[in-house]
Amino acid sequence: MHLIFDLSLCTGCKICQLACSAEHDQVFNPEKARLKIMHAYRDEGVHIATKSCIFCKKCAKTCPEGAISHNGKWMIVYHEICTGCGICIEACPQGVIFLHDDHAVICDFCQGAPKCIAWCPKGVISFKGKGGRI
Amino acid sequence: MSCFRQKMLVVDLTNNTIEARRIPKRWVDLYLGQKGLGTRIFMEDVSYAVDPLSPENELVFTNGIMTGTIVSCTSKLAITSKSPLTGTITDGSVGGHAGAELKYAGYDALVVKGRAASLKYIYIDPDKAEIRDASFLKGVGTFTADKLIKEKVGEDQIKILAIGPAGENMVPFACVSSERYRQLGRGGIGAVIGSKNLKAVAIRGWMDVKVKDIQKCMQIAAESHKADGILESEYMLYKYGTPALVDFSQRSGLLPTRNFQEGTFEHAENINGEALKALRQQKKACFACGISCGNFVRAGGSQVEGPEYETIALCGSNLLNRDPEKLIKFNALCDDLGMDTISTGSVLACMMEMTDRGVHDFGIRFGEIGKALSLLPAIAQKKGLGAEAALGARTLARKYGGEQYAMQVKGMDLPGYDPRGSWGMGLGFVTSPRGGCHMTAYTVEDEAWGNIDPFTFEGKARLVIDRQDKQFAKFSMGVCDFWALKTETLGRLFEVTYGGKWPEDKVIKAGERIFNLQRMFNVMAGFIRKDDYLPERFYREVLKAGPPKDIPMTKAAFDKALDEYYALRGWDAEGRPKPKKLKELGIENELIERYRKATGL
Repeated sequence: MHLIFDLSLCTGCKICQLACSAEHDQVFNPEKARLKIMHAYRDEGVHIATKSCIFCKKCAKTCPEGAISHNGKWMIVYHEICTGCGICIEACPQGVIFLHDDHAVICDFCQGAPKCIAWCPKGVISFKGKGGRI
Repeated sequence: MSCFRQKMLVVDLTNNTIEARRIPKRWVDLYLGQKGLGTRIFMEDVSYAVDPLSPENELVFTNGIMTGTIVSCTSKLAITSKSPLTGTITDGSVGGHAGAELKYAGYDALVVKGRAASLKYIYIDPDKAEIRDASFLKGVGTFTADKLIKEKVGEDQIKILAIGPAGENMVPFACVSSERYRQLGRGGIGAVIGSKNLKAVAIRGWMDVKVKDIQKCMQIAAESHKADGILESEYMLYKYGTPALVDFSQRSGLLPTRNFQEGTFEHAENINGEALKALRQQKKACFACGISCGNFVRAGGSQVEGPEYETIALCGSNLLNRDPEKLIKFNALCDDLGMDTISTGSVLACMMEMTDRGVHDFGIRFGEIGKALSLLPAIAQKKGLGAEAALGARTLARKYGGEQYAMQVKGMDLPGYDPRGSWGMGLGFVTSPRGGCHMTAYTVEDEAWGNIDPFTFEGKARLVIDRQDKQFAKFSMGVCDFWALKTETLGRLFEVTYGGKWPEDKVIKAGERIFNLQRMFNVMAGFIRKDDYLPERFYREVLKAGPPKDIPMTKAAFDKALDEYYALRGWDAEGRPKPKKLKELGIENELIERYRKATGL
């Protein structure tokens, strides 16, 4: 179960990232979004790439403190346990985990109602999984 | 920290210094941001008498207060300066991602002054700001500059504003490119950048943007986007983008054709929204824009984000160019060389008409698009015939005794709307502070494309003023033209992002204040009533097809409209704002005193 992106519809506006940082951190900052949208013009044209948590659980497996778990639907980071060591960042194959206020930040599906999906103006983002539902 | 950090970066290229300075909050309360704030910052330091291409002229980059937030259509970046094309104050704005990136880098504004000893680029991120060597970029186009800087910095997510060879060679209509395909086109700001030996500005940011009330901001943004339908797939600017306007202009008989000698183009359907949609590869959006007006097209070996309506009109119908592939190539070349497509199309049309009429033989005639394309690099390099075209339409036409064939106001080439097809547009062109420009009073929507009689000046002075004041507020609040939001909504969005109370009348008054501030600069620089006229063609010749057919727009009628406009504005008969009016508007005393001293009013 994870987010999927139809890049043929993506316009590179990054509204999804703003919705994400607003929901979780009450700020606007694409760098703090749990999903990554890379957008650049190259010689061959517009290049857009996306990255998001695929819930592979490698972070949970490598965390030395046991601060990360999977609740069957999404990842949970226990802030009181997380030491901000960054080992999960290295373990993440997607490169989407980052530290904020000294603890790891991972997509939590907005507790089941992802704001990125709700805000995307062009219907680019959806769920991959059973019936498209969490 | 908030969406207004009160912080500007001042780069002095002569002395090789960079410092951060505080922007008074009062300036935002009075002049809102972006356009207005840029004008205010510019007027603080720069004299109206400055030579536009001298080190004493400045470039003021400003983003909007709402730039970087989730409010749609707010990503724009403005650059204010004194124009080498017109001699007026000028500000242009550009979409893309650079404006937001500057905000995330921690700055509301960037001021560039002086002149570097050799070619430089400026790098800015939250940790550092540096003036860097750009000798490896000398003479390259904007596409290559974008690529090479990214390689040099080792990051392709940086956002780059760059000039092409036209800017380096100070062609007076040189533009600035943002990420290759978005252009800050008008007024020759690219030439001012070139005059400073500056090639590019590269920006990367990662700082938070906070707003007054984020819950309300999200709520009002979502509600207003929805209410205005800007996210819908049927929204015209998403479905077609600006090329959709070709059909509107053609139907209304105001599509510039053959250097504004005609208002309809027999091959318009070759270059309209449908024709260009067929060549589209992808839709593109600026940062945080839910509309996505951009069309990335590829044809005949050229790729471009566009062509936009103005390019289609000025480089298409106006040159009798009916080939979309050649139009795309024209657009791509201008973008890469760094030249405004409106002015480039305009000077070529002027040369074509002068050749046709035997005023001077430039060896190029209407429809000779192959010749026009081969001339473009020569214009940017100021070589041979290109050096003549690089004078710009007004100067070139004067030099060869055909000034009446330059379609411009104050030296600014006219955009894609024949004023005889929508008379309010003409009044807007002449009173726009940066010269012949459609962006301040788009009355064609009310007139030829709306339900107000387009062929009268009755009520038009009021209409133009209302549009200008609202538009100046909107642009100063940093919202793109393509979201036709209500001024009341604009005020509410400003309240939840910047803070304070912004009822509709206060927003409009701020727009009027900013409009007058720019007019003050121009009046001090010597622009008065005599400069507020259209080329004689529009008063003397009638169009011969479409709705405006055989309807004369006389100079006497135009003069009367101008009288009415000045009176409603609180300006004197010469078009000079009266100091009493400026006081009423709340413009600062020190600026009014400076104005009085310069004008004797």
